[in-house]
Amino acid sequence: MGFEHFWLSGFDQIHTAFWRYLAVGLQNGAVYAMIAVGYTLVYGVLGLINFAHGEVFMCGGFAGVFLTRDILGNRVGTGWGSVGLVLAGIVIGGLVSALVATGVEQVAYRPLRKRHAPKLAFLISAIGASYFLQTLAGKEFGYGVNIFPGQVFEPGKVMFTLFGTPINTITVVSIIAAIVMLVVADRIVRATRLGRGIRAVSQDAETSSLMGVNIDRTITITFILGGALAGAAGFLYSLQSGIVQNAGTEIGIYAFTAAVLGGIGNLRGAALGGLFIGLFGSFSVPFAFEGNVQWTEIYTFLILVLVLIIRPTGILGEKSGRTA
Amino acid sequence: MSDATEDGVSEVVVTENPVVGNDLIISAEHLTLRFGGVVSLRDVSIEMRRGEILAVIGPNGAGKTSLFNSLTGVYQPQEGSIIFTPAGAAPLSVIGKKAYQIARAGVSRTFQASRLFMALSVFENIKIGAEDHRGIGLVGALVKGPGTRRGEHRSDEVVIELLDFVGLRNEANLIASQLSYGARRRLEIARALATDPQVILLDEPAAGTNPSEKLELAELIRRVRDERGVSVLLIEHDMKLIMSLAERLYVLNFGSVIAEGSPDEIRANQAVIDAYLGSSHEEAS
Amino acid sequence: MTIISPANLKRLFLILIVAAVVAIMTGTPGSSTASPTTGVHGSFMERVSWFGLFAAPRWLLFLTLGVIVWLLVSLYRPRARTIRQGIDHVLAFPKELSSRKPTRVTLIVIALVVVILLPKFVHESFWMYLIVEQIGVWILLALGLNVVVGFAGLLDLGFAAFYAIGAYTTAWLTGALPMPALFHHPIPTLWVIPIGILAAMVFGVLLGTPTLRLRGDYLAIVTLGFALIIDDFVETQSGVTGGGVGSSPVPHPSLNVGFWHFHWGISQTPYYYLCLIFVVVFIIVFTSLEHSRIGRAWVAIREDEVAAESVGINPLKYKVMAFAVGAASGGFGGVMSAGLVGIITPGLFTYQVSVNVLVLVIFGGMGSIWGVALGAIVIQTATSYLDNYQPWGYQINDLYMYIGALLIIMMIFRPAGLLPSRRRRREFAMAEGGEEMHTDEVLSGEQP
Repeated sequence: MGFEHFWLSGFDQIHTAFWRYLAVGLQNGAVYAMIAVGYTLVYGVLGLINFAHGEVFMCGGFAGVFLTRDILGNRVGTGWGSVGLVLAGIVIGGLVSALVATGVEQVAYRPLRKRHAPKLAFLISAIGASYFLQTLAGKEFGYGVNIFPGQVFEPGKVMFTLFGTPINTITVVSIIAAIVMLVVADRIVRATRLGRGIRAVSQDAETSSLMGVNIDRTITITFILGGALAGAAGFLYSLQSGIVQNAGTEIGIYAFTAAVLGGIGNLRGAALGGLFIGLFGSFSVPFAFEGNVQWTEIYTFLILVLVLIIRPTGILGEKSGRTA
Repeated sequence: MSDATEDGVSEVVVTENPVVGNDLIISAEHLTLRFGGVVSLRDVSIEMRRGEILAVIGPNGAGKTSLFNSLTGVYQPQEGSIIFTPAGAAPLSVIGKKAYQIARAGVSRTFQASRLFMALSVFENIKIGAEDHRGIGLVGALVKGPGTRRGEHRSDEVVIELLDFVGLRNEANLIASQLSYGARRRLEIARALATDPQVILLDEPAAGTNPSEKLELAELIRRVRDERGVSVLLIEHDMKLIMSLAERLYVLNFGSVIAEGSPDEIRANQAVIDAYLGSSHEEAS
Repeated sequence: MTIISPANLKRLFLILIVAAVVAIMTGTPGSSTASPTTGVHGSFMERVSWFGLFAAPRWLLFLTLGVIVWLLVSLYRPRARTIRQGIDHVLAFPKELSSRKPTRVTLIVIALVVVILLPKFVHESFWMYLIVEQIGVWILLALGLNVVVGFAGLLDLGFAAFYAIGAYTTAWLTGALPMPALFHHPIPTLWVIPIGILAAMVFGVLLGTPTLRLRGDYLAIVTLGFALIIDDFVETQSGVTGGGVGSSPVPHPSLNVGFWHFHWGISQTPYYYLCLIFVVVFIIVFTSLEHSRIGRAWVAIREDEVAAESVGINPLKYKVMAFAVGAASGGFGGVMSAGLVGIITPGLFTYQVSVNVLVLVIFGGMGSIWGVALGAIVIQTATSYLDNYQPWGYQINDLYMYIGALLIIMMIFRPAGLLPSRRRRREFAMAEGGEEMHTDEVLSGEQP
């Protein structure tokens, strides 16, 4: 009896607050999608899960947070100032993250590539980089200390109301910014010479280099692109939830789930996967037993485990021809 | 040819002259193998008689290795059937079984790119093939009772016999990566024979070897069939080698069988000549 | 070669960057409330005393150190190869020493004597606690993970789960969980040992069977996913597991054999011997396995799974076995911890714990039983020392920075570990030399 009641009450909650759950889901999905693209691009060119990507996201988040705090101090952003600040946060977040990502690539992966190290070595090095970055951030910015950006918008500022549900400005801004950046990233990968290089290396690195593609440079660019997206996502994320030194771990796994779900190596798949995971996470909140927040995590990790076991190539399938 | 009879390990069919049986050891029918959009094998049917040395040739990309992979359970063709009939046992279907099951049933193989256990010694490479990998054997491994020790002794004997057979006795304790290319090829054959197979699939066994190594390998392959009674299915590009070794050939091109017959028949077959030389030959005539 | 060349100046630049990073790593921590650059600023500007003679800002110290390192590197660069070989030689010395049977036996006997008599010399409970809990338990975990990662080549990021199963089983069966013990009849702790080990092994089989078909990196993620799920799940089930708060104290084991009566209590020494016995047992068991048909099959699967299958090896079966065998050691570690520590909380089995065990195995040399044990001893001792004495302004969590950096450096320069098994060294050396390795391919990765 209690079980039925649980499900019914869950659906009931969704029914009443549908638009709110949808909005939150899309907002989170935007963030996950941007980070997932980073995972998927790096996996495409290196065949490697970049464990440190979550920390890349976190670093960009901190950068954006501190910049806006410095600029604003105690003031609140308004009008075009808000827009400018959001752009500034995104840009600085993207820059710092791109820098960190490149650093990780040069220090933790490139030397191993030159030594033809086995995959295991890359994974361990990635874990090492992840540990290093997270602890360094913790040392400098505090452990478990959640910091918010400067007040870019008026607190709780509502942009419009949809079917009776207030939609925050932060939500709209996040979604729009994410869409714009994902479309740009997609264009870069599909229509530019840079992107062709990335796709070529993902397919067949050896032949690509014989065709004149500079593998090292392509890989660096891939990391820069993925890192920039993650950093921008970091800032957008911080607008809503603040940033903390271990944010990379949890959000990183969510984003990785999204990348796998969409078919690792597949950029559009990663974006759609991010959207799905964001929505899924949001709509699963009413189904948390005894209101324990851990259940959302459990459900999401279950998706990860199930996808890997049942259909590792993802829903949309891999583009680079790799299977698990 | 010597009359070699094994004792202890297993029975071996002794053949003075290559007496090829009439019954089929492998029968593959209407195999179709697809990968995404690519069709690797297109309605391929192959018959292998017990005791013969059969070759599969064709230009690069014709699907030869895909055929091998299908016969050994590495790939699962979407259509068709493969029946393997071990001597004195019931026929079994290869499709649907896992690669290791097929290996245990009596189908062994070597690989186009040498896949030895490079960091292990020559002896260990063969030993791994010779050991019985059925069951769990946890208790046996820990307690090392008489049963386990007998088993180890037996596999050691098999290894030594095979080392002698392929001529690697002196190199037994070398690490596989230290061997010359020709020696590596022989080691691969030894390892494949360690499972006591009925049929062995050799994927370009002479690739990359120099002429004298090629002669040695050809001699070895012949002895595998003559002295051990193992049927041989062979992929090769070296025409001289094939023509001297194989009794029958299949020719593959673009995933289909385009010809089948004795070396002489194949040599004269127009379709085969076209396949290798391409359309330029047609234009010339 | 000249000192001032573009390539060498680039090297100077890189070395200075590294020096700057080290300065920050070892410097003052930042503050969460003040400006974000407080820590960085402090790390560079803080005045430190040079040998008590004079005080200078840290940036000067590190700049000088950086330049000195650069000069040394420039001067000795031509001899880099010799130096590297020299280091390898030194590090290989213990292995070479122990390659002779008599030497090895002597060493083992000496080690045994030292280890058995140790409690006679070490009275301070702090050190005993250190040895048993910090080193002993971790040696058990490292030995277990070594079977999984080192022997079978499976990257498991959730090994702490087996540890947890052992501990929670113990807590449950001895009646220390909110959920009542089996048949409402708590069992003495000592009898739980085999049950805890078995439970962990069964869990290893259950976890391994669906997941071990996956390729290396995916396996890592799946094990991580499962570990996180279990972590979260345990916390939610307060009614069963005591949730975040944990269990009630688990009773110390006691042994009643006829007239002989022994009770483990607060004193560490009996735990020390209990742990020692099992460590020895597991070392013997794992060494036996290594040199058996199973051990050889593991090597084959690790080197080239496709080739292994072609000689009749069922990879899944052997991989699941590796999980189960490794889990046994982890599970026992859990049982012992439960008795020793008393209160079991989910915080003991986090992802960080799993990665810590991995670090011990990697550092010591994966695949090498003695290497792994040594690695555990070295790192855990260092960890405890640093945590307790905190030299030079070291902060507790800083350790993970160094571990992270250590992992990267090790993968680049000495991936085989401190005391590597011969085979692993060969594998890494061959990979570096360009020998085509098939270690990470599984069937479907091949092109038709």
